[in-house]
Amino acid sequence: MKSKSNGKDFCIFALPGLFCFLAVLIVPFLYGVYLTLTDWNGVSQEKNFTGLKNFAAVMRDGQFWSSLLLTFKYVIFVVVIVNVLAFGIAWLLTRGMKGQNFFRAGFFTPNLIGGIVLGYIWQFVFSRVFVSIGEATGWSMFEASWLSDPGKAFAALVLVSVWQLSGYMILIYVAGFMGLSEDVMEAASIDGAAGLVKLKNIIMPLMMSSITICLFLTLSRAFMVYDVNLSLTGGAPYGTTEMAAMHVYEKAFTSRQFGVGQAEALILFVITACISGLQVYLTKRKEVEA
Amino acid sequence: MAQTQVGGNRKKAGNLLSFLILIAVFIAFMFPFVMVVINSLKQKRDIIKSPFSWLFTIKGLSFDNFVKAFTQMDFLNAFMNSLIVTVSSTVLVTVLASMLAYYIVRHKNKLSQVMFALMVASMIIPFQAIMIPLVSIYGGTLNILNHRLTLIFMHTGFSMAMSVFMFHGFINGNIPIALEEAAYIDGCTHVQTYFGIVFPLLKPIISTMVILNALAFWNDFLLPSLVLTDKKLLTLPLSTYSFYGTYSADYGTIMAGLLLCVIPILVLYVVLQKQIINGVVAGAVK
Amino acid sequence: MKRKAVSRISLGLSLALLSTALSGCTFGFASDPDDPNEAVKEETIDTSVDTFQYDSSLEGTQITLLNTKAEIQVALEKVGAVFEERSGVHVEVMPVTDGDSPYTKMVSLYNSGNPPTLSILDTTDVIALAQEKAADLSEEAWIAEAEGYLTEVNGKVYSLPLCIEGRGIIYNKTVIEETLGEPFDPASISTLEEFEALLKRLAAAGMERPLSLAKEDWSLGAHQLQYIYETYDGTSEGAREVIEQIKAGELDLAGYDRLNEFLNAFDILKQYNVSAKDPLGADYDEMAIDLADGKTALWFNGNWAWPNLAEAGAETEDEYGFLPYFLNNDPTDFANQMIQGSPSKQVMLDGQMATEKQQAAAKEFLNWLVYSEIGQQMLARTCNIIPPFQNNPYEPADPLSRDIYEKVHQGMAFNASAIVPNDHWAILGAAMQKYLAGRSDRQELTESIQAYWDEQ
Repeated sequence: MKSKSNGKDFCIFALPGLFCFLAVLIVPFLYGVYLTLTDWNGVSQEKNFTGLKNFAAVMRDGQFWSSLLLTFKYVIFVVVIVNVLAFGIAWLLTRGMKGQNFFRAGFFTPNLIGGIVLGYIWQFVFSRVFVSIGEATGWSMFEASWLSDPGKAFAALVLVSVWQLSGYMILIYVAGFMGLSEDVMEAASIDGAAGLVKLKNIIMPLMMSSITICLFLTLSRAFMVYDVNLSLTGGAPYGTTEMAAMHVYEKAFTSRQFGVGQAEALILFVITACISGLQVYLTKRKEVEA
Repeated sequence: MAQTQVGGNRKKAGNLLSFLILIAVFIAFMFPFVMVVINSLKQKRDIIKSPFSWLFTIKGLSFDNFVKAFTQMDFLNAFMNSLIVTVSSTVLVTVLASMLAYYIVRHKNKLSQVMFALMVASMIIPFQAIMIPLVSIYGGTLNILNHRLTLIFMHTGFSMAMSVFMFHGFINGNIPIALEEAAYIDGCTHVQTYFGIVFPLLKPIISTMVILNALAFWNDFLLPSLVLTDKKLLTLPLSTYSFYGTYSADYGTIMAGLLLCVIPILVLYVVLQKQIINGVVAGAVK
Repeated sequence: MKRKAVSRISLGLSLALLSTALSGCTFGFASDPDDPNEAVKEETIDTSVDTFQYDSSLEGTQITLLNTKAEIQVALEKVGAVFEERSGVHVEVMPVTDGDSPYTKMVSLYNSGNPPTLSILDTTDVIALAQEKAADLSEEAWIAEAEGYLTEVNGKVYSLPLCIEGRGIIYNKTVIEETLGEPFDPASISTLEEFEALLKRLAAAGMERPLSLAKEDWSLGAHQLQYIYETYDGTSEGAREVIEQIKAGELDLAGYDRLNEFLNAFDILKQYNVSAKDPLGADYDEMAIDLADGKTALWFNGNWAWPNLAEAGAETEDEYGFLPYFLNNDPTDFANQMIQGSPSKQVMLDGQMATEKQQAAAKEFLNWLVYSEIGQQMLARTCNIIPPFQNNPYEPADPLSRDIYEKVHQGMAFNASAIVPNDHWAILGAAMQKYLAGRSDRQELTESIQAYWDEQ
């Protein structure tokens, strides 16, 4: 595009989308930031400006910081496993294998199950299926429900998140592979050591934009994990699997410290923004333009 | 559609191995969905006592759950509401986001950079953090909640950032500027060039984004539950509310309701898969 | 081409499933008369007599009712429809949906400028919202009928108590008798020792672990632990007093009798818990089935568990009832004689955004529930709750509610509800889970309770 019609282009191409985005997301967000500086409890008609008092309360909330630490641990596991798995599966599914459409539809199904059903099905798997495997085999690993032990409940959370997020990331990686040209795809279908080298030298750089997107999405979604946390463990056993986002929500609505919860959400946002910003910056540099 | 079917035995062995791995992972992935399908045909007692038991050995296998879900959800009405909201939001966000992303890719100036950075950062905002401000502004101040248009507008706004991000990545990596320059020389306007040349080339990413966005809109619960309270406007996921109890839930009906909700999305997915492939063929003419 | 065929097949399958689902055909043995899930009986309501005075000037008024008691959603919609038929006032029943807490829903509705005219809330929510949002109901006539069940905020009544709920140790009489081979009289047990002896005999008779214990934090943190406040002297005032003492640090929890007694009792429940091997792996829905089937004979829960038992195959003619939560070996202690039963849900009227006419219509609706023949029946029968109004002659239909109802009327229930902060059940529920799992001892649990109250 030529720069002289820049203003008109901006109005036609950029403005409508930008307006929706600002009105729905940014304005409420800024209002939310303002609320962290008040003593508003969510319902009262009075709002008094209290400065950084809510943030001081966040500093004292030890539970928040330990949930944040747990979230970090969780993010690392989830991001690595999801991306390796999804990349691998997407690669297999774009090599012209027989029945690949059927497989793709199957890998899509985790996207279809959410909320209470997701929690129920998986609770069932961890509490009942695993225990009956344990009874049949005598393996101590499956002796008791995974959800009643803090360590295993955490592993269960990672497992379910991997299941759910991979389904999504496979879609994006598949689209990325489909965007590659025929010759590149052909290279991808060669097996053995030569194939691996080609994967690293030819395909990975071309897939960098998909990788950037998927890393970013898994990173931000893992940091914000709420639904899976709530419906699978609900923080159980005894509060050991409560992640940051769930803690924030509980603080605001169960403990009814709206301002503190809002302030914690803001801190969580800033931390996540820094980390994923860094990630996008690093991986974007490796992208090749067409 | 050219596929590489040539190769020696080693390749065949490799194919077999990867096929087996794929099947193993695939079964693990499908398992919960299969459980939903099987259990949607059972009574609650059987679901709890023997969720695994094979369909036909169970007493009371029936479509009762589906009938109950269908009537209690007021399915046809809720289906129409979901359809209107999902289709409008998806079309709107696809067009607006791809244009915005295109603008950002082709205008590498400060403004673009700021917009893009803002959008990327905004994707990390937890919805719970803006939910109360959102209803205060749109309900308390503007008083425009409880309209389909408001929901469509909000869906569009909320999915804008991620859609722009995805389109941006694709346009940046896959759309050569040479094509557009040729069009300008032929005297096309920017809008003509965009819709005539660029937009069709975006097919693979459009298909992906349509699926992802439509899925999100169709299944979304939290946002519609904040915006819509009028019974006549409820979308499918909202209409399953009566299956949930305080201490326990009506699992059979919930699963039947879930299937009734997701089947349209599955159909859309299967249809669009073909589009993704066709899109690649069209896009391969470089 | 193969892939095309596959995609056609999957599309075809989805469509086939969809169309069979839509046509709603049935096969299998769905109508088997032995099926325990068949035919949940619809209570019939006699609408022939209606002496209630409707205010005709209110016809056409629209009011909304936020329902946070999800299990009566369908019933309330019926109640609303009948009321509209009679009075011309339209009552829109709004549900609180999965994932929302009642309070969160209220916050978002007030912020959206569209609060419900009436809302069914927990007592703590009423106390949190009353002074700023609610209309004063102190002058309403039904106050006299609900004597003893009212919640006052600064000397005023802001809410109508909707139902009485009670909790204790549910027994399945038939199962106990079959296991022990002798008649079982619940009144014969009046101390913790006698209760433990019953458990021992059940175990000796082959039912090794005869009791179900829920792992859920609301059960452990609210329904169990709150006994330590509510049995202070069996009144709500007493509960408030003891909480004030704990908060102020005047009461040494480690030396507080009721806490020690409660934990003694809890330890026994723990020991005979059917899932003692993995107490945090217990499944709530399975407990109902176990009790109905006779795998267990006892379950710690409340009368709200009836729908679960009914789904599991229990009939309204079956003999279920409540034992008290025995605390010690003194048969004269009220805690060993009575079960806890108190109002649990409150209906609050919005006084801030609702118009005069809406408020009048809402008040008429509340009066109709308390005074009209139809409203009385619908509360007890359609919603299957225990109304706290003395003038309501209708008894609840299921055995659990009937037992509570009878105990309330015989003076064998104590009406104490501890008003605790809203996160009490979540935070101390987690501490109780840890104790239940054997990962903490009494000292640690006691310290967690003290630490919780210190922060308030």
